[in-house]
Amino acid sequence: MKETLDNSQQVWQSQPVEGTKMSAEAIRLRAGKFERRIARRNLRESIIALGVIALFCYYLATSGEWIYRVTWGLFILGMAWTVINLHRKGSPRSMHSDLGSASCLEFFCAELERQRDLIENVWPWHLGPLLPGYLALNVAYVIGPHRLALWVGLAFLNAVFVASFVVIWKVNQKAARCLQRSIDELRARETSS
Amino acid sequence: MSAIDVSTVGAIPRSSADEMYQEAADTYGAALERLARAYEADADLRRDLLQEIHVALWRSFQGFDGRCSLRTWIYRVAHNVGASHVIRQRRTQLQTLVGLEELENLPDMNSGHAAADRGHTLDRLLSLIQRLKPIDRHVILSYLEGLDAASVGEITGLSPANVATKIHRIKTVLARWFQQGEVRS
Repeated sequence: MKETLDNSQQVWQSQPVEGTKMSAEAIRLRAGKFERRIARRNLRESIIALGVIALFCYYLATSGEWIYRVTWGLFILGMAWTVINLHRKGSPRSMHSDLGSASCLEFFCAELERQRDLIENVWPWHLGPLLPGYLALNVAYVIGPHRLALWVGLAFLNAVFVASFVVIWKVNQKAARCLQRSIDELRARETSS
Repeated sequence: MSAIDVSTVGAIPRSSADEMYQEAADTYGAALERLARAYEADADLRRDLLQEIHVALWRSFQGFDGRCSLRTWIYRVAHNVGASHVIRQRRTQLQTLVGLEELENLPDMNSGHAAADRGHTLDRLLSLIQRLKPIDRHVILSYLEGLDAASVGEITGLSPANVATKIHRIKTVLARWFQQGEVRS
């Protein structure tokens, strides 16, 4: 038994390594590249939202009626709020400054809790900001010329909107429960003696 | 273990941080490379991960306050970067990784091959480690690097009793896997 155990450590420690070394200057360059890579990744992640904002800006610029201008304006603000919060809270913090001061358990729990909080409360930063624009759009339809096609369109839009909200909310709740199970498991390890 | 002077408490000037990094890279470079191998199977991604660990280490020394040993600090930084990597790669599939408890009951994925040579033994060991949840991965890697239970507890934040239980499980799992390999060869 003893021999077998020593073997595993020996096999592990004697594996060939490339001997990767970086000078302080190379590290600084690499750190700069790394930051730019994160910035590019964040930009990629928000490119769809930026596209939608651009579309809303076009509608805002070309819309003749004030109520529609208000509607598109509210949607733009809502989307901008969502993108800002997505970056502030959602981007994986690949380069913490306190990596050495937290134990692995504390660090891993904190990362999972951060993700859980983000997806558990999607209303304030993801779904909620779109509601004012959505309500304004409904008002615009209601006070506009009453045509059957418009009402059918509005009913369809409402159904799609509500269904999307419910699906996003439910999917996030499920993911948050999965994360919570992992956190509970880790916390139990932390407290068990 | 290291010749670095860590008596200064408080923020470290950049030049000192550079020196500390260089010393740390000299002393622990091989261990960091092995650690990166345990967190990423793909060679290109592994190179990126290793560089990310080195950058994180260099940055971290600017905040090193000497409240824990330098070795503990280095391993914490490296493991925490590794855990972040696992979270990023498996954002939604974190539950597909297993704990040591489940690993004891899982079949050897490479059971169809003979385990005659050391290279293959290492591959089997790596495949076992890469199936583990991050915290259990920290423990088994620390064990394989030859760290004692107290150091493992300090790095991971697990209680000494918990570390002892895990190391016992690791020894059982490794003994079973290695015996399987020896029987087949």
